[in-house]
Amino acid sequence: MLALLTFLGTIEQTEHGLYEVQRRYFESLLLFHDVGGVPVPLPGGGLVMGLLFVNLLLGGVVRLRKGVRTAGVLVAHVGMLLMIAAGFVKYATGEEGHVTLYEGQGADWFQSYTENEIAVIEVVADGDAFGPGDERTVDGASLRAATPSAPVAVTGLPFRLEVTRWFDNAQVLPKGPMFDVDVPVVDGVFLRGADLVKERERNAPGAYVTVTGGDGVPRTGLLWAFQAEPWTVDVDGRRYAIDLRRTRHAMPFTVRLDEFTKEDHPGTNMPSWFSSDVTVTDHSTAAGVSRPVTISMNQPLREDGLVLYQASWGPSNARPGDALFSTLAVVRNPADQWPLVSCVVIALGLAFHFGRTLVRHVRREVAR
Amino acid sequence: MKALLLAASLALLAPVATAGRQGPPVAEQHGLATPTDDGWRAVDPQPWSEDVTAALGALPVQEGGRVKPLSTLAGFTLLRLAGRRSVETPDGAKLGPDAFLAELLVRPDFASRLPLFLVAEGAAIDAIGLDASVKKRRARWSFDELRPAVPKLFELAHDWSNVEPARRTSTQQQVVQLAEAVHRFLDLAGFLDFARMDVPVAKDSRLAQVVGAWDGRASFADLVAAGPEIGALYRELAAADDPLAREALRSIDSVLRLAAELGRAADGLALVPPAGSAADEPTWLTPSELLAAALDGERASDAQVVALRGLQSLARAESDEQAGTALAKLAASTRADADRRGETRSLDLERAYYRAKPLTYATVLFVLAFVVAALTWLRPRSRALHRAANLLAWSGTAFLVGAIAVRCVIRARPPVSTLYETVLFVTAVGAIVALVIELIDRRRIAVSAAAALGVVGLFLATGYEKLDAKDTMPELVAVLDTNFWLATHVTSITVGYAAGMLAALLGSVYVVMRLVRRRDAAPDTFRALGRMVYGTLCFGLFFALVGTILGGLWANESWGRFWGWDPKENGALLICLAMTAILHGRMSGHLRELGVCVAAAFGGTVVAFSWWGVNLLGVGLHSYGFTSGVSKALWTYYLVQWGVCALGLVVWWMDHHGRRTASAPALDPAMRS
Repeated sequence: MLALLTFLGTIEQTEHGLYEVQRRYFESLLLFHDVGGVPVPLPGGGLVMGLLFVNLLLGGVVRLRKGVRTAGVLVAHVGMLLMIAAGFVKYATGEEGHVTLYEGQGADWFQSYTENEIAVIEVVADGDAFGPGDERTVDGASLRAATPSAPVAVTGLPFRLEVTRWFDNAQVLPKGPMFDVDVPVVDGVFLRGADLVKERERNAPGAYVTVTGGDGVPRTGLLWAFQAEPWTVDVDGRRYAIDLRRTRHAMPFTVRLDEFTKEDHPGTNMPSWFSSDVTVTDHSTAAGVSRPVTISMNQPLREDGLVLYQASWGPSNARPGDALFSTLAVVRNPADQWPLVSCVVIALGLAFHFGRTLVRHVRREVAR
Repeated sequence: MKALLLAASLALLAPVATAGRQGPPVAEQHGLATPTDDGWRAVDPQPWSEDVTAALGALPVQEGGRVKPLSTLAGFTLLRLAGRRSVETPDGAKLGPDAFLAELLVRPDFASRLPLFLVAEGAAIDAIGLDASVKKRRARWSFDELRPAVPKLFELAHDWSNVEPARRTSTQQQVVQLAEAVHRFLDLAGFLDFARMDVPVAKDSRLAQVVGAWDGRASFADLVAAGPEIGALYRELAAADDPLAREALRSIDSVLRLAAELGRAADGLALVPPAGSAADEPTWLTPSELLAAALDGERASDAQVVALRGLQSLARAESDEQAGTALAKLAASTRADADRRGETRSLDLERAYYRAKPLTYATVLFVLAFVVAALTWLRPRSRALHRAANLLAWSGTAFLVGAIAVRCVIRARPPVSTLYETVLFVTAVGAIVALVIELIDRRRIAVSAAAALGVVGLFLATGYEKLDAKDTMPELVAVLDTNFWLATHVTSITVGYAAGMLAALLGSVYVVMRLVRRRDAAPDTFRALGRMVYGTLCFGLFFALVGTILGGLWANESWGRFWGWDPKENGALLICLAMTAILHGRMSGHLRELGVCVAAAFGGTVVAFSWWGVNLLGVGLHSYGFTSGVSKALWTYYLVQWGVCALGLVVWWMDHHGRRTASAPALDPAMRS
C-alpha cells in the first residue's frame, strides 16, 4: 500500500516538475504547487526519495519473505537502493564546475558555474613584476546576510575586512550627476541589485567591502563577479588584491589544452565531432609526470576522483580561423560508477525473477 | 576572385525576379493562365525512358552531410512538395521520384505544368490572391497555376515566417510551407541553367585565347577548365594601368558575371566530388563552387570538367539517347570518383531499399493478417484461418524486420537513431512480442493485436515520414555519434516503449471485451488476457528500467551527470514508475485483473507522452524531432486510452453494483504469484 502511494506520489511529482521544468521540485523537502492560483503543498523530490529509500529498505528488503521466489525481486530492490544512495552521495558531496581554456593555456583548478567566493590575495613584488602570493578565500554563501548595520567580518587576515553589502545579482552602473544612490560610489560607479535570472550561471553577484588597516582609515571597495581585474588595495605598506569570483576548486593535476578540434558534417553546419587534446601533469609526484589525453564527446577523462568532459566551445560568434576555446566540464562525484553497478544488479534481479515466472507460465501453457 | 563573383551576383540579383526564371512577367498574366486559355496547348514531351531516369537516380549527391543516391533526394523532395512519392502528368501517367527529378532538372517548363504543390486547405490559395474554388479544398497545384501569385506568396510568407511556428494560424503555416516548397522547386528547376547556354566571348580577345573559344562562345565547363588562367589574366589586367587593359578587363568581367548569374541557382546540388581523398576534402562541390575555386587558381580535375560537360549535355538533351549518353558521362566521372573515395558503399543498397518498398509490403501483409484474424473470430473453430493469420502476421513482421536490417546496413548504425526509426522499431518489437505470446497462448487474441499494431505502426511511420519529409537516414550530431550507446540505451528503452504500447493495446482489448461479454462466460480467455498484459508489462519494465539507467550512464559519460530531470529522462522515469506501480499494485492485491488492464491502458498514454509528448514540449536536450501535426494524433490517442479507462470504470461498477445476483468474480489464484 505504502509502495503504491509513494510511487503515485512520485509520478505526480515528476509530472508537475515536467511542466514547470524546475529544479526546486526535485531537490526540496516540501514545495507548493500552484493549481489555478491555489498553492497545493506537495512533498518535494528529496522527501519522496528519502521515503522511497526507507520504504524500499524496510518493505522491499527487510520484510520481504526470503526464498527462491523472491530472490530476483530482492536483488532488484537492493540495486534500486544503491542507485538512490548514489544520487544522495552525489547531491551531498559532489562538486561541479568547468575549466575553460584556449589552446596553449593550462589550469590546475576548476570553476563553479554558480557558487561564488571572495579571494584575498597578497600581491608580492617579484623583481620589477608583481606576482600572486598567499591567498585566502571566503565562501560567498556566508556573506549573503551582510548589511551596512550588520557587516560580516572576515577573520584571519592581517587587516580588518568587512563585507557591508551583498547582492546575489547586480549590475555595475556609472553614477550620473542627476540622481542619488543609497550605496557607496567607487571610482564613479555603483552597484545596483537586479532580479535573479533563471539561468543561474548568468547571475553576477556584487558586494561592497571595507578594508581597515592599522591606521584606522576605512577604504571602501566595490566587488563584482564579472569584473575583469580584482580590486587592489594598499594596507600597512602591503598590496592586496580582493576578488569576487566563481568558486575555484583545486585539482591535483594541471590540464593544458594543446589542440581543440571541431568538425562538421561535410556541407552542413551540423557538428560531427569535438575533441580536446590535453596534457595532464600530475602534482602528486615531485617529477610531475605529463601525459597526453584526448577528451571527446562520450569519452571523458577520469583522473584522481575527478571526471573531465568535453562540454562546450566558443566563442559562439567565431569566424572560420578564429582561435576557439574549449570548455571542459569537471565533476567530482564519489558515486560516479555506482549507477553502473546498480544497473547490472537490477538487470540481473529482474531477469531472474521475470525469466523464472515466464518459464513457469510457458510450461503450464504448453502442458495445456 | 570570390568577392568579384559575389559582387557580380549581387548586381544581377535585383533585376531577376525571384519567381520568373521562365515565363512572362507577372503583370501580363490574367488570373489562372493555363495554356488552354491562350488557345494553344503545349505538347507534352515524350517521357524519358526507364533507363535514363534510373541512371539519373543512381547518381551520387552529397546532402545533409552524407553521400546518397539522387533518387533518395528526389523522393523526399517529391514527398515535401506533393505529399506522396509520385506525381501525375496531364496525360495521367505517373512519374516516380527519378522521372520527376529528370523533368524538373532537364525540362522545367514541363515540370511547371505538373500538379506538384499539395495545399491542404484552399484558404491558403485564397490568401495569395488565387481562386481556390476551381479545385477541391485539398488539392495539388502546378507551378504554372501558382505563378501569377508567387510574388504575393513570397511576400506573405516572408511576413508570416516571423511569427513563431506555434503561434501561426493554419493558413499562415500553409502559406509559409507552400513558399518553402516553391523555393525548393525553383532551386532545382534552375539548377541546370548554367549548363543550358553558352556565354558570348569576343572572338579575338585574350579571354577567347585562354578559354579556346574560337567561335565566340564558351560553356560554363570551358570557363571552369580554364579557370586558373582566366583568374591570372584577370589579375594581370587589373594590375595594368593601360586603358586597353581596362577595356579587356571590363569584357572579362561581364562574361564572369553572366557565368556567375547562371551558376547562382547551381548551388542546389553538390554533385561533384572533390579531387582529393574523402578524409582530406570531405565536402562535395556544386558547379558554382567549382567555378569560384577554379578562378581562385585551384585547377579542376579532368573528372570534374567531364562531370560539368555531362551536366551540360544533360541540360541540352532533346532525346532519350542524348540524355543517356550525358548520364553515362556523369556516372563515369562523379560515380567513379565517389567509388574511388569510398563513399558509395551502400548507395546501390539504398536505391534498392526505396525501390523495393518493403514497408508497403509489410503494411499490406499486416492488413491482410488483421482481416483474416477478424475472420477467425467469426469462425473460431477454423484452424486454417488461424494458421493463415499467423503466417501473414509473421511475414509482415519479416518484411519490417528486413527493412530495419537493411537500414542498419546502409547507415552502419544500430536500428534506432531517429524518431522515425523508433516507430518502425516499436512496431516490429511489439508485433514480435505479440506473436511470441500467440505461440505460447494460441487464443487468437495476440495475433490480432500483432496485426493491429503492425497496421497502425506502419501507417504512423508513413504519416510521420510525409509530415517531416526529410531524409529519414540523416547524419547524427556529435553526441549521438556512438554506436555503443545507441545500441544499448536507445534500443532497450525503445523495446520498453513497444512493450508498454502492446500492454496498453491488450489491456484495452480486455476492457472492451468485458463490456460486451460477462467474465463468467469465458473466464479462461479473460484470465489469459490478463496474464498477457501482466507478462508484457514485466517484459517492458525490464527493458524500460535497464534502458533508463543506461541512459543515465550515457549522460554521465557525455554530459557529466547521471540524471538531470530533463523531460525525456522524466518521461522514461514515468514509464518505469507506472509499470512498477502496476506490478506492485497487482502483487499487493490493490489491482486485480481488470485493474491491471485499465492501468496498462493508462500506461499507454504515459508511454506515448514520453515517446512523443515530451518532444512537443520543445525543451530539453532530447527533443530531437518537433512536428506540429503529431500533437493531433497524440491527443487522439490520449483521449481514446482515457476513454478506455473510463469504460473500465463502468465495467468495474457493473461488476460491483449491476450484477449483485451473479456470484462475485472469484479471485484468480494466479494473481498472487
